[in-house]
Amino acid sequence: MPYAAPPETPPAAVSAALTTTNVRVTSSFRGARIVLYGAVFDPTAQPSDVVVIVRGPEAPLRMARKTRVAGVWVNSRPVVFEGAPGFYMAASTRPLGEIASFGTLRRLGAGVDHLAINAPLEERTETRYGVRDVVVSRLGQDYLDWRRAVVRLKEQSGLYAADEQGVTFVDRGLFKAEIDLPTAAPIGVYTAEIFLFQNGQPVSRRMRGLTVEKAGIERALYLFAHNRPWSYGLVSVAIALAAGWAASVVFRRN
Amino acid sequence: MDIYLPIAEVSVNAPILIALGAAVGFISGLFGIGGGFLMTPVLIFLGIPPVVAVASEANHVAASSTSGVISYTRRKAVDFRMGGVLAAGGAVGSFIGVEIFRWLRLLGQADLVVALSYLIFLGVIGALMLSESLTSILRQRRGAPPKRRKDRRPPWLYGLPFKMRFPRSRLYISVIPPLVLGVFVGILSAIMGVGGGFVLVPAMVYILRMPAGVVVGTSLFQIIITTSLTSVLQAGRNQTVDVVLATLLLIGGVLGAQVGARASSRFRAEELRALLALIVLAVGLRMGLGLFFTPAEPFVLMAGNG
Repeated sequence: MPYAAPPETPPAAVSAALTTTNVRVTSSFRGARIVLYGAVFDPTAQPSDVVVIVRGPEAPLRMARKTRVAGVWVNSRPVVFEGAPGFYMAASTRPLGEIASFGTLRRLGAGVDHLAINAPLEERTETRYGVRDVVVSRLGQDYLDWRRAVVRLKEQSGLYAADEQGVTFVDRGLFKAEIDLPTAAPIGVYTAEIFLFQNGQPVSRRMRGLTVEKAGIERALYLFAHNRPWSYGLVSVAIALAAGWAASVVFRRN
Repeated sequence: MDIYLPIAEVSVNAPILIALGAAVGFISGLFGIGGGFLMTPVLIFLGIPPVVAVASEANHVAASSTSGVISYTRRKAVDFRMGGVLAAGGAVGSFIGVEIFRWLRLLGQADLVVALSYLIFLGVIGALMLSESLTSILRQRRGAPPKRRKDRRPPWLYGLPFKMRFPRSRLYISVIPPLVLGVFVGILSAIMGVGGGFVLVPAMVYILRMPAGVVVGTSLFQIIITTSLTSVLQAGRNQTVDVVLATLLLIGGVLGAQVGARASSRFRAEELRALLALIVLAVGLRMGLGLFFTPAEPFVLMAGNG
């Protein structure tokens, strides 16, 4: 007797697309707004949440803290942090804390508080209370202050953002989110991750790519400056001297 | 009208930069200084990364100094020989200065040293110039005869070997003091992102005792050579010269310098010096006093990875 399969329900899924996948930085670049559209396919009509995470290229960054020495505020020894993306945006339908548990968010790196920003050069492992290989940071108790400062400074320059209502449903199953790239957005490859959450768990995930690149004369100048730095320097000095000379010639005629 | 700068990677308002360039160019032509000590802080304040501001500013100073020097040459107010000796020292100094600056950046103390140098050098020079020029202005107002300039030059200027004739300056002195002065100004200019005229002009007047007429032109001539060298060095080693930024600044700068150089003959030397002293003092205090106030944000992100 054939086994009667239960009626098959396809799993819930999410899909999304970006209005632009290639941002061109030209001389008129003043930042860009990219819209992400997506759809939730779910036959069971369970309550769903959508979380969109956009990350820019990662580069280590150096930070110092100002300390007062003999009445003067001076920089401390700089600390190198790794794991901080050059751009980070988390948009969701509700506050992230209501969508999923702390552990889940931490595992996915969802939300600025869950970014794995650390200072590997400051860390060493030691045995504490009989536990081996405990990671200890030389920054000690202040470590959280430092980490928070990384996020705060990035937020101030518009590079990090968290929008708890950034994902909006425009129609049943159809949602959109806006990504605002500031002028300071780093050049490189970006990724947009789209998660569908049901009952606090990510049930579906999509990944979309985005490139920010210099174009036109900006690109030509940038490449010239980096590929042939000495000729670039000579040319820029020649322009300066020629301009100075030209101005004095013009003025003498007058 | 905003323009995105390819190297600085920020967007700036072009007309504002051109106007700034013109204003600083005017001051540059008027006083015979590069104007970097004014422009570099302003650029940093506008949000341009300090390393790019310092390097591109050298380029702008070279342009406005060229524009100014040509006008002074026509009036035979440039001592090319003295300028050449100063520039030789300046070239050595800027190599040393660039290395010191790299080392300070690694230690994370570049900001501190820049702010302290502004406070100390601009503060001291500004105060000295101000008191000196105010005294002579007051003496003139009272109708007293101007204090006779001491024609006796310090004996150590004459005791040193390697003497050289500087006919335009009517000097016959050792090349060591101008060389040392050039090295010192070169180091300073690499660290502070300036041409160094604000040190050079008073030093030429009070230490080398050059005739006032040739001081400004000669200082500008020396500045062209050192800033051109700095500009090429910065582009070659650090790729921090933004040619778009420099061009925007120099459009206004070269025109301003011409107007400034013409205007300079209409003012009395003492009044000019008093005015310059006030500007120098204000910039020095503005840059340096920040060190004593509790910062609103205790953490600072640093450019580059060292």
